[in-house]
Amino acid sequence: MVFQLRTKSPDEWKAVTSAISTLVDEATFEATVDGVSFRGMDPSHVALIDIFWPNSAFDRYECDKLIKFGVRIDEFSKLIKRAEKKDSIEIDITDDSMLQMKIFNGYKKEYKMRLIESISSSTPLPKLTFNSKIILSTTAFDRILSDVQVLSEYVTIETRPKNIRFLGKGDSGEADILLDSESEGLEELICNEESKSTYSIDYLLKIIKAVGGSGGAISAEYSSKMPLRLEFKVANIGRIHFYLAPRVQD
Amino acid sequence: MGVDLKPILPSFPIKVSDLSDKVVAVDAFNTIYQFLSTIRGYTGEPLTNNKGEITSHLSGLFYRNINFLIENIKLVYIFDGKPHQLKYQEIERRRQVKTQAFEKYQEALSEGKFEDAKKYGQATSTITDKIVQDSKKILNLLGIQYIQATSEGEATAAKLTKNDVAFVCASQDYDSLLFGAKRLIRNLTISGKRKLPNRNVYINVEPEMILYDDVIKTTKLTHEQLIDVGILVGTDFNPGGFQGIGPKTALKLIIENGKLENIEKIKTALEEIPYHEIREIFLNVLENDDDIKGLEFKFDKPDHDEIIKFLCDEMSFSKERVTTALERLEKVSEQKNQSLEKWFG
Repeated sequence: MVFQLRTKSPDEWKAVTSAISTLVDEATFEATVDGVSFRGMDPSHVALIDIFWPNSAFDRYECDKLIKFGVRIDEFSKLIKRAEKKDSIEIDITDDSMLQMKIFNGYKKEYKMRLIESISSSTPLPKLTFNSKIILSTTAFDRILSDVQVLSEYVTIETRPKNIRFLGKGDSGEADILLDSESEGLEELICNEESKSTYSIDYLLKIIKAVGGSGGAISAEYSSKMPLRLEFKVANIGRIHFYLAPRVQD
Repeated sequence: MGVDLKPILPSFPIKVSDLSDKVVAVDAFNTIYQFLSTIRGYTGEPLTNNKGEITSHLSGLFYRNINFLIENIKLVYIFDGKPHQLKYQEIERRRQVKTQAFEKYQEALSEGKFEDAKKYGQATSTITDKIVQDSKKILNLLGIQYIQATSEGEATAAKLTKNDVAFVCASQDYDSLLFGAKRLIRNLTISGKRKLPNRNVYINVEPEMILYDDVIKTTKLTHEQLIDVGILVGTDFNPGGFQGIGPKTALKLIIENGKLENIEKIKTALEEIPYHEIREIFLNVLENDDDIKGLEFKFDKPDHDEIIKFLCDEMSFSKERVTTALERLEKVSEQKNQSLEKWFG
């Protein structure tokens, strides 16, 4: 078995591990000749993360067959965090039970970490069509959700062809935020059909804070009363998708 | 005592939260019995209200179910109907065991042997009509469904999973698998720290799942043969089974001989047992589905005020604890996040 991955900086690993850690404690990665992927849901099956990280994004990528490896995500990210911005990271797995991580800085740091049993079942993707799409800067998205969170635990997103509203309602009052093409932070608004749906702010803010920091804009797609899909652009990672089920509306 | 097949059946641990949004058919008598025997005081006496009426089952049904409702598990309790005539021997045996246990319980109490008293006390639990009525009342107030089986509750639970009305049966006994249930979950209502009987040792009991398809695949038995294994070990319809035959031997005998009739060494003993009839009971469970026909489940919200009235005013529960539990549930059910599974297609 040959399995060796090398990245120029720890940023991508940091984004990947912090995204996953918002949902689960243990993660099973799957690597093939084409790249590394992860797919998993939180225990209540409200949110799902789907990641694909193509081989071309790595400084060095060697993997001759399908390999699955399981890690405790907090332990794994602790090691990743020992790398500084310009350090390159190399990960090897030579047998089934141990993962080896080398961090190259002025000197060579070498860690060995015990792998955990990988999960064999695969998570499907929800089958969705999206009627609305918005692209917001991470800062704007974070701010808007935090604005609504002051009064409510959930946000209703209402997209129309010319504008978009973020609404929240709690015991003590209501929040209403309106964005149009002139608004700062709104990079794109596509509305094929007016859409209105409600989502948990806690889930959204967690993932945006976890991944957003390393990316620029976030695209959000959804339809009325359907799950929302966030897409994060992180350096070379091909795909970081976050799916969130809507809340039942009264 | 249902049939014990534990050593030969494949199982895997599951988390309570994995059952979120799923319909779980709970063996009501089995569960109530567990509560009556485990929720007891230091000297083995059951919990009671200020009138001396037993309330152990209500404590279990209330606090346990609150935890399941918080996980959004859709529970359906199934109460046994009229037992099959072949079960009367087992019922009589259980009655005797209880009478004996009660005598020993009183003896231990009078001698001040509280450890023993607790042990025997646990075996004296009887499910009276009053206990059944009160159980149904608390389920009703919690917004949990219950149904009355025409006969064996586990047969009805099995039918529900066969028709995909329920996802899984919950019971400590394995009988529902003999009835052909697709999935069985054990330890659901008793998970957590448990003391081992007669020893001062605590173990962590976790829910475990057994899939009918897995059982058939790993044992390479047909449904009929699985039932034969059950009969060898002993079912409610032939308690005790055959002398000297445990689950592993039973499995080996059926694999080697194909069926009960071909096992040389039990030929005489077998004549005493209406095994044809027992097989029919387990096999033809779907023949009578009057009790689940047109069944529509409605899951209501708990009735906060009525629960307080019943548990605290009538049954002497602590108002503070009951209120805290209810508020925990109310807080969760306000946030109604759906599951993504709805869109997996």
